Order: sequence, then structure tokens, then C-alpha cells
Amino acid sequence: MLTLSEIAMALFLVADLALAGASRLKYAISLVALQGWLVGLMPLLGWQWSLEGCPEMRIWIIALVNSLVKGVSLPMLLSYAVRKARTRREVEPIVSFQISRIIVFLMAAGGFAVAHFLDIQNTSASSFVIPVAFTTMGTGCLLISARKKAITQVLGFLVLENGISLFGSQLLIEYSLVVELGILLDVFALVFILGIAIFQINRTFASTDTDKLNHLGDTHLMHPHHKHDHVHD
Amino acid sequence: MENNLKELLVFLTPLLFIANLVQSLFYLPAAAKVEGKGSMPRVLYYALLFVFFAAMMFSILTPSLLLMWVAIELTTLVSAPLIAYHSTKDSLEAMWKYLLICSIGIAFALFGTMLVLYAQSTESAKWYMAGFAFILAGYGTKMGLSPFHTWLPDAHSEAPAPVSALLSGALLNCSFFAIVRFREIMPDGASLFCDLAMLFLGLLSVAVGAVFMVRQTDYKRLLAYSSVEHIGLITVLYSLYSTSASQKLVMAAILLHIAAHSLTKTMLFQLAGNLLLAFQTRAISVVQGLGEVMKKEAALWISGFILICGMPPSALFLSELGLVFSAPIYVSVIVLVLLFVVFAAMMKAALNMTMGRPLAHYNKLPKRLIIVPSILFVMIVAGGTIASAYILISGGVK
Repeated sequence: MLTLSEIAMALFLVADLALAGASRLKYAISLVALQGWLVGLMPLLGWQWSLEGCPEMRIWIIALVNSLVKGVSLPMLLSYAVRKARTRREVEPIVSFQISRIIVFLMAAGGFAVAHFLDIQNTSASSFVIPVAFTTMGTGCLLISARKKAITQVLGFLVLENGISLFGSQLLIEYSLVVELGILLDVFALVFILGIAIFQINRTFASTDTDKLNHLGDTHLMHPHHKHDHVHD
Repeated sequence: MENNLKELLVFLTPLLFIANLVQSLFYLPAAAKVEGKGSMPRVLYYALLFVFFAAMMFSILTPSLLLMWVAIELTTLVSAPLIAYHSTKDSLEAMWKYLLICSIGIAFALFGTMLVLYAQSTESAKWYMAGFAFILAGYGTKMGLSPFHTWLPDAHSEAPAPVSALLSGALLNCSFFAIVRFREIMPDGASLFCDLAMLFLGLLSVAVGAVFMVRQTDYKRLLAYSSVEHIGLITVLYSLYSTSASQKLVMAAILLHIAAHSLTKTMLFQLAGNLLLAFQTRAISVVQGLGEVMKKEAALWISGFILICGMPPSALFLSELGLVFSAPIYVSVIVLVLLFVVFAAMMKAALNMTMGRPLAHYNKLPKRLIIVPSILFVMIVAGGTIASAYILISGGVK
């Protein structure tokens, strides 16, 4: 029989596929929020209530703080950045949505193959966790590399992080409150700083397309004849 | 290994921090005078610098692997605004790349940490290997191992000189320490995989460093690629550690290499900052005739280049000698050839810059900008000489 956490993980996979095809920024952000809620509530969904009774305070706090940060405040921060930077509301793919969907689908298949190799020996966790975590991480990387806007890269980072936390929430339930909050604080601060950076980039470059951010680098060393005067200050 | 490295870093990191803090006190007013453009408030700069230092120390001292991750990620967060101190287009680009690439890397490191923690409960070598692969990719990104090094030349060349020096001298060591801590808990079954992965990435880094140094036109990027090369050498050395017949020798080589590289690179980045202020360009071809217009800087610059290439009395000579002695023959040959390429590239740049007739107009610099690099230079030479003398007296490398 399917457990609650397995249903949640199936939803996670659906969200990954939907993210690969999401063309509106707002829709993509709400999908990430959905994943945030799922990953935040995972410790409670995976809890065996009939066997273990009511979970202790620590788990309630972690679940609450996690879902609030990942499901509410980070998506709000992103929507705010979209509004403030006045970016266009489309996602602007480099790799088309159709191909992105196929890539995510293949990654999911690859994830199940990996899970076959790396078997879980801990009975309480579902065997879904490896493929779903891998697919989510892969989807995050895809969003980072195959979309143009700076904000979609931040979004991709959050998806990557969700995949990792999903893994953590399933297999290492026993880590301490300090660690959990520390990780969360880091992610929050990172998104915050990235948000500020987006404003600055928008102000300086009059765009948030990451194509504009390609001035540095050493590729001109490989084509000495096309060398533009790169070094200046 | 872990404890010895920890002792070294606990001593070295504050030293580098103080050197760069003092240099910042001299450098920032001079930079403001020369450049006169909008940069972040100086109070914020110092606040971030202190938090940066605190985060590095915390990552070294904390016993928890997960809290170490939190601290390393914190170093990314506080050092990113420091890179964009001058808030130019290029520095913003460098900051964005740094934040994004390092955060993704660090996210992989978190995943790797979780895999390793899970592996400890199952005792299965497969999980350990999967974990270490992610750790190496993750902390390797932060450490500047090729092919994950792409952020490093941008960030190190755009940041103000004291920040470049701290990034290159201190931060890379902290990430290396993170990798060492994980390597130490790997079981024997995963040992070969870890060593081969490190050997491969280490050699690749030395090669990438060498290739990009040959045609380099920018002297700060040249120094940045030299960091990639040295990180590669340290990783190659460490990959030999577990199987080496004389572990003491390899360990001594690693520690010497880290200390000597950090000090020398800090000195060179600080000098590069001075040159940038004086000539307003990072182009190697424009800066000429240093020997005539800035005699002291020129002397330190060229001796710094000689020292970073591993010429005696630099301690890097001893560590590279240790590498060649303890590595299998094919590794030694590859490393020696690449080191020769690096030497040629660095000498070409250094001689171009110091010799010849001065072309460019240049700004006069305040004398105090050279105090810290000079002190560092004395320390490097004295330290290298003492280490060499010690080895000679105690009977040489066996």
C-alpha cells in the first residue's frame, strides 16, 4: 500500500515535470512553493502515528519552520523580485520546454536505475526517495543551465535544494535542530543576496538576462585573432 | 592528517586575515583616491571581512560535518558582496557567477554529506563512494578544482586586492580541509576510488592552470590560474597520502605546500593590487619597465613569481620535490612537464612587466602599501630556509 510520504513524493515528481514545461514565472514559483510545502511537511507525513504516537516538539518545529520558509517566504521573495525588477513574466528557455520535459523524464528513469544500484537498507524510508531526490536535483540543474533569466536560475537552485532536503528528511531524521535551522538560514540568506544581486544587475545592465553576463572569461585566449581588448579597468 | 592540518590552519588563517586586514586599511583609501567611483560603505566592507574570517575559523574548528557545511556556505554569502566592492559591471558579473556556481557546488556538498552520514549507518562502501563523489565535486568547486573552477579567475581578478588574497590564500584551504575530513572517514573499500578521483582532478587542475597561464594577458587572472594549479598539486599530493610508503613525508609536503602557497599568493595578490592602482590596468602588455619606476615593487614582484614557481628557498621547492619522490613515475613526469610550462609562462609575464622602458603613465603610490607584502616576503624566505635547513640537518628526504 502507498504511504502518505510516497504519495507526496509522487506529487514531487509531477511538480518536476511541470516545472520543466512551465512557461510562466508565476506558475513556476508556485510549483516550487508546492515542493517547499511537501518537503517541509515530509517529517510529519512520514511519521508512523499509530506506532510511535505523537512526534516530539523538535519535529513539529522543524516541519513548521521548513514549510513556512520554503513554502511561503522564499516564493514570496521571488515574486517580489520579479515584480520589482520588472522582468518579463515569461520563462524564456534556452532548451525548449518539450525537450526539457523529455530530459526530466529521462532523469527520472535514470534515477530509478541508480536506486537499483544504491539500495536503501533502512526499512522506514521509502525506496522512492532516491529516484525522486535525484530527479528533483537534476530538474534544478536543468532550470539553472537551460533558462535565460537570472531569476529562473535562483528558482532552479531552490528546486535543487528541495531535492536535497527531501533526501535528508527521509534518511536522516535524527539531525539536530541547530543544523536544520543553520541550513535553512543559509538558503534563505542566499536567496536574499541573490535577490539583491538581481536588482543590481538589472540596474547596471538594464536587463536580467544572463547572456549579458558573459564578458569575463578566457575564451579569447583560444582565438587570438579575434581578441577583443578584454583587459581594462 | 586531519589534526595536523587543523593545527596549521588555525595558525595560518588568522595570520592571513591580519595581513589582509592591515593591507585593507592602507589599500582602500588609496583605491578611493585613485578610482573615486562608487563603492560599498567601508564599514560594511570591514564587517563582512570579519564575518568572513569568523566563518572560516568556524568551519575549521567545528566538529560537526553539517555545521562545517553551514559555515562554508556562509563564507560564500559574505565574500560575494566583497567581490563586488567596486560595483562595476564586471565585478557584478563575477559576483553572480561566484554566488551561483559556488552555491550549486556547496549544495552538492550538502548532498554528499548526507550520503556519507547515511553510509555510516549502513557501512556500505557504495554509499561512501557516492557520497565522496558529491563531496569532491561540491567542496572541489569552492576549492577551485578543475573542471569546477570557472568562477575562480573571474572572482579573484575582480575583487579588491586584499579580498582576492584572502579568497586565494585562506578560503581554498578551508575547502581542502573539508575534503580531508571526509577522506579520513572513508572505509578501506572506498579508498582506491577516492584516491583515483582526487589524482585525476588534481592533475587536470594543474594542466588547466598551466594551459590558461601560457597565453594569459591579465596578471590578476594569471595569479588566479596559479591558484588552480597549486590547488591541483595539493590534491595530487593528498591522493598519494593513503598508499604512500612514507606517509610522514607526504604529509609534511602537503602542510608545507599549503603554508607556502598561502603566504606567497597573498603577497602577490597584494602587490597586484598595488600595480593595478598605479597603472589602472590589469594587462600584462601595458605594464612595462616596473624596474625603473617602482623599484621595490618590481623586486618583490619578480621574486614572488620565482618563489611561487617553487624555486629555493621557497618551501614550495621542498613540497614539489616530495611530490616527485613519492608519486608513481608517470605522475611525476606529467607534473614536472606541467610545472615547467607554468614556470615559463610566469617568468615571461614577470620579465615583461619588470623589464623594458616604462610606457604607461602611472600614479604614485603611498609607501605604506608595500609594508605588508615586504613582511610576508621575509616570512616566506625565512620559513623556506629554515625548513630546508631542518631537512638537510635531519638527514634529507629518504
